Formats: sequence, structure tokens, C-alpha cells
Amino acid sequence: MELEEMKLLWGEMSAEMEKQKQLTGSLIISMTKMNYRHKLNKIIIPEVSGALLCFAAIVFILVNFHKLDTGYMQACAIISAAILFIQPVVSVRAVYQISSINISANSYKQTLSDYAKGKIQFVFAQKLSFYLGAVLLLTILPVAVELMGGKDPFKKDTTWFVYIIAYPLVYGLARWTFKKYMQTTADAENMLKEIAESVNV
Amino acid sequence: MEDKKDFIGIIQENGGLIYKVARVYTHTREDQEDLYQDIVYQLWNCFGSFRSEAKISTWMYRIALNTAIAHRNKEKKKGNQIEIDELLLNKPDMTDGLKEERSAVLFARIRLLNDVEKGIVLLYLEGKTYEEIAGITGFSTTNIGTRLGRIKQKIKDQIA
Repeated sequence: MELEEMKLLWGEMSAEMEKQKQLTGSLIISMTKMNYRHKLNKIIIPEVSGALLCFAAIVFILVNFHKLDTGYMQACAIISAAILFIQPVVSVRAVYQISSINISANSYKQTLSDYAKGKIQFVFAQKLSFYLGAVLLLTILPVAVELMGGKDPFKKDTTWFVYIIAYPLVYGLARWTFKKYMQTTADAENMLKEIAESVNV
Repeated sequence: MEDKKDFIGIIQENGGLIYKVARVYTHTREDQEDLYQDIVYQLWNCFGSFRSEAKISTWMYRIALNTAIAHRNKEKKKGNQIEIDELLLNKPDMTDGLKEERSAVLFARIRLLNDVEKGIVLLYLEGKTYEEIAGITGFSTTNIGTRLGRIKQKIKDQIA
């Protein structure tokens, strides 16, 4: 089937569609209302819940900071609080960027370009979150154990045991996830190259 | 109220356009329904900014194509959509089995193209001129010609 043949068939198909039953007015209106709820539930709620959880953990660390009596535990607490602040900000920003394409004003070319750039930034944010998460695991565990249990966890063997189990798992997950991300980034970069070709033609 | 009435009329008249865009950019029936509804939602959202001096179909194509790209992110987030009767979704009534099969091949061929090409070829098949395609997509008229030449070759190569 060549392009001209495709055009012919497309025309026939379009003519068939003209004869079809039309959507009812109430169905059209319910479509416009329904999707708003759908978007709100699926995108905003998980992001906001995650951010609130992080901020609650920051407050917990700051309120109990005076209970941490060694320098390295205080350093762990500061690093953890910083990561808990940066992570949701980076994540929410990336999600906002990719979902804030101006559908009304953009041309198709601009939308494709914005989407591809947003995707690359989103992948970068995900990778950054992953690295920060690995550091957070290292720093927050002793702080949490000391604040809740009252003992320096670095002096207990079980803490090191948790790290020995957790880090190979984190490494495996990172390898699997990053492989997927690399493909996404490559696809987005190819799209940008394809769009840029228009400048050279 | 008057706006709502006009909007319903426009969607009823151009339902086929939305159906075709939704079918080109999705792979499953569920995604297709979801994208169809998202396009209607975005058209309603942008309806206030529509200026009557522009052709309604040109405006609709731009919003529909932009929505199809932006929708990519939501593809895997299912649920909460309304069930639409298959007939109401402007599915062409291809009573002839062969025609239906050819129609499926047609969409499958278009789906093999990249996103830039998909948009251009869809508008070309809809009978738009190079100038109109350029106006909707933002590529230059010369670029549209060059790209369509390449698409023709690509489609030929698909058959070979």
C-alpha cells in the first residue's frame, strides 16, 4: 500500500464516518468533566503525598536535632534533611515541566520539542533522585534509629547488616531502571534531531 | 450556555477527526478511548481561545495533535474513563471485511512512522495542502514537501 493508495482508502474511511451515529451532548459534556478528576487523581495526589511525607520527615529531624549528640550523627541528619527537601522539589518540578506543554498555543513542532526536552529532564531528575535516595538510605537510617531507639546505631552490628542487604538490591534496581531510562533519553534525543533537520532543509 | 451548545455541535460534526488522531497515536482500544476523551477535554479547555477567523478544523487538528503528544505521559495511567459505545466513537462501519482489514493495515503503517512523520502524513491524508500542514505543524512548506517525499519512500520500503 503506497501513500497515494493510502490516501484513497483514507478518503473512503472518512466518508463512512460521516454516516456514523454522533456522540450525544451529555456524553461530550461528561467527557470534559471526567478527565479533570482523572488528571488530578493520577498526577497531583501521588506527587503531593510524597512531598508531604518528606517534609514531615524534615520536621521530625529538625525538632529532634538536639537529641543527636555526636558530630557524625548531626552531619547525617543535615544531609538527610537536605535530600528530603531536594528530592520532592526536583521531582515535582520535572513532572510539572513535562505536563505543562502549552497545548493551546504551541505548534505541533514546538510541542514535540517541548515534550522531548521535558522527557530528557524528567529522566535526569529520576536518576538524580535515585542517587540521592541511595545516599539518603545511608544517612537517614542511623538518625531514625537513634531518635526512636535512643542508641548510636553505628555501634550495633545489625545496622551494618541492613546496609549489606540493602545496597546490592539498590544496585540491581538501579541497573535495571537506568537501562530503561537510557532508551527513553535516546528516543527523546532522536526526536530533537529529527525536528532540527527542518532547519537544514 | 451558548458556548456549550456550539462546542457540542463542533464535536458532533468533527468526531471523525478526533477518532482518526486517537487511532493513529495509540496502540490499544483502551488508550484510544482515553486519548479521544482527553482531546475533547483539551478542546473544551481551549475553546475560549479559539478565534473564529481561523478555520475550526485547523484549530482542532492543532489541539488534537498536541494532546496526542502530551498524552504519552498518561498512557499507562488508566481508569476513570467513561465507556463509549463503539458506534458512537465514529468507528467506520466497514461492513466489507476486506475494507476493515485494509483500514487496520493503513493505521498500522502510519503507526510505524515517527511522531513528526505521523502528524504530517495524517494531515496529508486528510487532504490538507502543504501550506495548511505547515500552518498546523510549524514546519516550513519546503520542509513538508521534503518530509513527505521521504515518508513516501519509507512506506515503499515497508512493503519491500
